[in-house]
Amino acid sequence: MDAVWDAVLQLFGEYGASQANLTLIQYDPQKGYAVVRCSNKALEMVRASIASITKIDEKPVAIHVLRVSGTLKSLRRGGSAKTG
Amino acid sequence: MRKFVDLHLCPSVQDLDQATRMITKCSELGYGVVGIPLPPNVGQEKFRQLQDICNSVKLDFVTRVDLFPKTPSELLYDLRRLRRKFEVISVACASKPVARQAAKDRRVDLLSFSATDLRRRFFDYAEAELSSKALSSLEIDVAPLLSLTGVARIRLLSRLRKELAITKRFNMPVTVSSGATNEYLMRSPHDYAALTALFDMPLSSALPCLSENPFGIVKRNREKLSPNYVAPGVRVVRRKTLVSSRKKTIP
Repeated sequence: MDAVWDAVLQLFGEYGASQANLTLIQYDPQKGYAVVRCSNKALEMVRASIASITKIDEKPVAIHVLRVSGTLKSLRRGGSAKTG
Repeated sequence: MRKFVDLHLCPSVQDLDQATRMITKCSELGYGVVGIPLPPNVGQEKFRQLQDICNSVKLDFVTRVDLFPKTPSELLYDLRRLRRKFEVISVACASKPVARQAAKDRRVDLLSFSATDLRRRFFDYAEAELSSKALSSLEIDVAPLLSLTGVARIRLLSRLRKELAITKRFNMPVTVSSGATNEYLMRSPHDYAALTALFDMPLSSALPCLSENPFGIVKRNREKLSPNYVAPGVRVVRRKTLVSSRKKTIP
């Protein structure tokens, strides 16, 4: 989650980060997915920040947004492995 | 449903494993058409291998060549030689005369400029006016935006913002491509659309830049390369065939 916060701060600054309302809901390190909550209005901003992450601890990574939903219920109903 | 196109996926053509991984990833990310730059003297075997890989993951493969001419005459020579061989031709404009020649030539599909050396981005009003008449499109690669950091990225974003304003003024089409050289630089079309917001491109314009604009180029060129094409608006509908029975009746 630190990487996402850093990316938002780097691209949009503290003002932008304050609008995002970022919260980590769920993280599964084995399957490699996470559920992140953010403000609906800041969706594109968070999406761009997540897409801009290329390294975590000097290791190359790529984080992809698999699904976007308004509620956690519909997010989990959408797909088992691909929910994120 | 919208068909997303990545016209600039850059795997090493020699390393087929990497190419396979990147093409598969491209399909998983939701693209329907992929363009891979090939060397001008590429063999048929390599071409077929890449096409097979794309077919196996149900991707439409587009052949593309990136030209790096030093002079306008070199560009003209390359265009004469390669236009009929590749579906998409991109010109890396390294000097102003080359940029101007590429902008006014109708055989050029994409104009690309250096992402790292901003003094070599020769995209201005004159360039946009010429290219809007010649139907060529400005190519923006997103990979440099991901790999650059700090001041270099800030300057690139600022430059892209200005260029985008120029393209809007002249109704010049823009194509957004990945420019990815490895899997870590590949993102989904919606992620690219979100990233383009960094240089003030609204989502409603970003999605056509990832689908309709590049697909339009491919469609137009495929039609031109088809054996039935004669001229704009003129194509062969039916060919006259010799009937052997009629030959017999002639004394």
